[in-house]
Amino acid sequence: MLSQYIYLDALSVTMIILICFITGVVGAFAVRYLQGDRKQYQFYFLLSALLVCIVLLVSVDNLLLFLLCWGLSNYLLVRLMLHKNLWLAAKNSAQLASKNFMLSFIGIAAAFGFLYLATNELSIQAILQSNLKDSLLLPASILLLFAAMAQSALWPFHTWLLSSLNSPTPVSAVMHAGLVNGGGFLLARFAPLYKDHPSLLAFIVIVGLVTAILGNLWKLIQNDVKRMLACSTMGQMGFMLLQCGLGLFSAAIAHLCLHGLFKSYLFLASGSAAKDKNIDRVYTPRMTNVILAPILGIISAYSFAFFSNKIPLENNTNLILVLVSYIGGTQLALNILSSELRSRFVLALIASVAMCSIYGAVVNVFQSNLSYLNMPQKINAIHILSMLVLFMFWLISIFYTNLQQLMPLKKYIAKAYVSMLNASQPDPKTITAHRYLYNY
Amino acid sequence: MQTAQLKVSHQKHRVRCNVDHREILVRSVSKSWSKIAPFWPLQNLIAVNPLAGFEDLPFRDALKFGIAYFQQADLPNGMQIVNLHSIKWLQAYFDQGQSTIRMPKQNDSFMQSILALLPFDDKVISAADKNLAWLQSLPTEPIQIISNCLNFLKIPDTEYEQFLTLMLTTLYGWSSYVTYIMKWSDQEHSGNKYAIIEYEYLAIRLVLTCMLWPQARDVLSWHYNALKKTESIKIFNKIQVAENDYLGELLSKLKSRIHNFRVESLKAQLVFCIDVRSEPFRRAIENQNGYQTFGFAGFFGLPIRIDNKINGESYASCPVLLKPAHNITNLPFCSGKDPYNGYSIIKLFKQSYRSLKYSFTTPFALVEMLGVFNGFWMALKSLFPWIAALSKKFMLKLLSQEYALKPIKDSISLDQQAHYALSALRMMGLINNFSDIVVFVGHGSTTENNAYATSLDCGACGGRHGASNAQLLADILNDSNVRHIIKSQGINIPETTYFLGAEHNTTTDLVELYDHDAPDVFKNKILHIKQDLEKARQENCWGRAKKLGINTTKKQALTKIFMRSLDWAQVRPEWGLAKNASFIIGPRYLTQHCDLDGRSFLHSYDWHIDHDKTILTTILTAPVIVAQWINSQYMFSTLDNVAYGGGSKITKNITGKIAIMQGNASDLMTGLPLQSVHSSDDNSYHEVVRLTVVVYAPKSYVESIISQHIKLQNLFRNEWLKLICIEPATKDFYCLERNFEWSRV
Repeated sequence: MLSQYIYLDALSVTMIILICFITGVVGAFAVRYLQGDRKQYQFYFLLSALLVCIVLLVSVDNLLLFLLCWGLSNYLLVRLMLHKNLWLAAKNSAQLASKNFMLSFIGIAAAFGFLYLATNELSIQAILQSNLKDSLLLPASILLLFAAMAQSALWPFHTWLLSSLNSPTPVSAVMHAGLVNGGGFLLARFAPLYKDHPSLLAFIVIVGLVTAILGNLWKLIQNDVKRMLACSTMGQMGFMLLQCGLGLFSAAIAHLCLHGLFKSYLFLASGSAAKDKNIDRVYTPRMTNVILAPILGIISAYSFAFFSNKIPLENNTNLILVLVSYIGGTQLALNILSSELRSRFVLALIASVAMCSIYGAVVNVFQSNLSYLNMPQKINAIHILSMLVLFMFWLISIFYTNLQQLMPLKKYIAKAYVSMLNASQPDPKTITAHRYLYNY
Repeated sequence: MQTAQLKVSHQKHRVRCNVDHREILVRSVSKSWSKIAPFWPLQNLIAVNPLAGFEDLPFRDALKFGIAYFQQADLPNGMQIVNLHSIKWLQAYFDQGQSTIRMPKQNDSFMQSILALLPFDDKVISAADKNLAWLQSLPTEPIQIISNCLNFLKIPDTEYEQFLTLMLTTLYGWSSYVTYIMKWSDQEHSGNKYAIIEYEYLAIRLVLTCMLWPQARDVLSWHYNALKKTESIKIFNKIQVAENDYLGELLSKLKSRIHNFRVESLKAQLVFCIDVRSEPFRRAIENQNGYQTFGFAGFFGLPIRIDNKINGESYASCPVLLKPAHNITNLPFCSGKDPYNGYSIIKLFKQSYRSLKYSFTTPFALVEMLGVFNGFWMALKSLFPWIAALSKKFMLKLLSQEYALKPIKDSISLDQQAHYALSALRMMGLINNFSDIVVFVGHGSTTENNAYATSLDCGACGGRHGASNAQLLADILNDSNVRHIIKSQGINIPETTYFLGAEHNTTTDLVELYDHDAPDVFKNKILHIKQDLEKARQENCWGRAKKLGINTTKKQALTKIFMRSLDWAQVRPEWGLAKNASFIIGPRYLTQHCDLDGRSFLHSYDWHIDHDKTILTTILTAPVIVAQWINSQYMFSTLDNVAYGGGSKITKNITGKIAIMQGNASDLMTGLPLQSVHSSDDNSYHEVVRLTVVVYAPKSYVESIISQHIKLQNLFRNEWLKLICIEPATKDFYCLERNFEWSRV
């Protein structure tokens, strides 16, 4: 009886493991961190409820239950964000988030309506296994994509995420590993809907790419640690959706999980931000570096391909992952080669190969377990364009000269900087512009 | 002819008017800044009185102004919008290394840099039609800009000072940081960037105000209304009641115990910092028998700057009231593996990580590579902090050998060394009866993931660890040449006496002795001292555990306290200087047998050897002042944690690596966080009392010193400090009244 509403596949299990792990660890952290806080017990209650809701969300096989869990868990998240409810800015943050979640909720509800009309089924699996040719499925897919974009703070729905830092640190830690990823999960869950819609997939690629670029750029100009982390999450969400758009849903889920762990840790550790010093990168322009680093990059890209069971120069979208690993390997090699250590050549080789091997191995674990979500596409113009963009931005970021030393200041640079600064500001209502309006 | 003359005289008149006008402006600017207390950045949080700008007023009136300026629930909406954009630009300009892509023109002066970018700020420019044209028509000199803006806003020159003051107080945290830069920061490395920051800062604030809130004159009436409604009598009375309670208790403790006594067979003499956290530990080590302790400012009288040769760090290690006079190099004290190599490998690791994290496209690969490790590490740190700490230590050890640092004294001339040594010994009253081992104990704290870490370190060392100063003084006093010079001045240090530097870790109560190059003959004695220090540690941890509300046994207290220092989730690793309430200047026998509950700064002082009163003068004008800053910081952070404190740690956000904001963005939250002064959101731990100074010396000493120092007169007359004098001849207690009369208590 109950089992007809539950569907546990590798995707649900992966998500359950992730969310239980994060909630457990952050909960343990909060035991000491929230010591003496007025609402410590309420926090635990809400956190446990949220855990239950998300676990249900990822394992139910019924449109209505899914919708219910989706709405409920977003509601609980908003309540958690509202921890300091006497603080006006925190209230406004929560309000902004709930408006956004409302959008995603409406999107899903409407999409589900279409799905039901098209198939007359309430079971998600039944829908996905039915003949996916109905004309009503396209609007459903578009609406689901819209919901995913709002949920995962994709551009232009990013403001709520950049304005969400009035929440206590543990809430941010849970959120950035949890419900922000909702969009990725949603698309993975309904992946079969998108498989045969290259134009939709291309659209996802573009949206993902734009968000990845914006988030990544904004992150680099942020002046406070938490907003930097939020912008970074935004960029990573973009990359996750980009992978979805490439048909690499399993890689997207890998990214979702690993980024969640990574970002949670960084939030919890954000109290140390003042202590770790900014060590400026200095690339000594030695000829050997410029030649050697790309070669080491190629070697490490091969090791990535080897460990992730891919063919390095295959004509499908996996190529983009190979490119990203190549960029990572080259960057690391370049950095080590620029040091003065005698063993730098050996060290650079070992480090970049090790890094890309780990990257490959981890991706492989996910992809082999979630192989049914693996739908790589043939390379098309959009894919080539996005590879070029990722590569070019990386090249510029290596060779950029420090803006503060630019003499004279180029007008377009000043303009670009200011517009990025303004675009990445939180919503004005969520900023405490008068100190005494802060309230614990 | 006549008209020409008229013209000339008219012009003269105008010139004179301009000169007058300029003078008024200059005076108003400097007066407005005088209201703002400095705020030290997170790298060395020095305690300050947030109302330092009002210290020329009686305490009660200052409270009132504090309420009117900083504790108003409302602020005109226009001003809030100005603040919004001010915060944005201030964050960008004063960023000390958070952003990877820095603000363009950040190396220029504040005004030049912001004015270069402001024309592109659509959010500001689009607030009114003519903004861009107006902005581009501004003169180039900051003071002229200020003048233009004040005109534009139609502020009469009688209100200049008040209006400019409000421009600063409505964004108090940032103004405080600028005050720090202006008056206290080490500007050697910043070139001319901050030369006229006081004008430039106000100019930018005003420019933004003109564009965003042309009716800004309303802020004046907002302030006058607030001032009219403000009353401070209730708070003042409450503070007085608490003070009287505390004082009654303190005096009865002190009165019951004044008799001199001798410690038989001394094992060692230990000199601790005056810090209130030393008092319970001194009691604990004295309980081990054979120990005599002293209190002295934790920089041990050495105005030095420390250069760490390994990581290239350089910082002043003395009170901020002093300028460092010597550069001391810290060298590793080790043999075997090269610590420099180890350091550069670790640095390379960090750098590589950063280069992947703060670059384009690479972060996407980085998270997948490190995600599993980070998850594992996060779980370890949250569930088993000690295992995480041990493994981190182990990993670091693999990469580079552990080494101790030793300050090298050679950059100070021999005569100077002898001079410092002599005055230090005289000030702490240690001029005869030297025991075989004399230990100078500096202090510092160790905490994890704590933005406010330096607020727990040694204030006398400029918010740093005090080990180097302690080691340096010990090293100086072990030098036979120095001892020879000192001897000619009447202080005879026996051949059998050896000086040692040490550091008291106030979080764990571990006292580390730096005995690497101690002669073998002392090894046994040192070993014995170490054992006693361990016992004292246990005792003190037990006492502290109770105060921290840890449910534990005496045996486990030490471990539990130790765990706190490793725990990255811990918001109250130690109580710091919370509950501080008095500053006692006198010999240890005055206080030795009373439990002062860790609430007193203790400075050793022997009036017999202070014929010219220079020692007491120094104590009253330096350590007492620093203690008053500390006391005020704790007091005001407790009184109103939103206006004067940092707010709750759980929503803090570090900006620019320099300071705390709350949440998305806010003014800089100066002062101590809620968790440092409160045991819970609703209950305070620190008690709101002003500092009471107790001096064991003739009244005439105190009188003559105060009469010579206006700063002290101000503080006592305006009741920022209380003073009790114990007349040594009669052992009578006298309280200094506001009119500088004595009354017996």
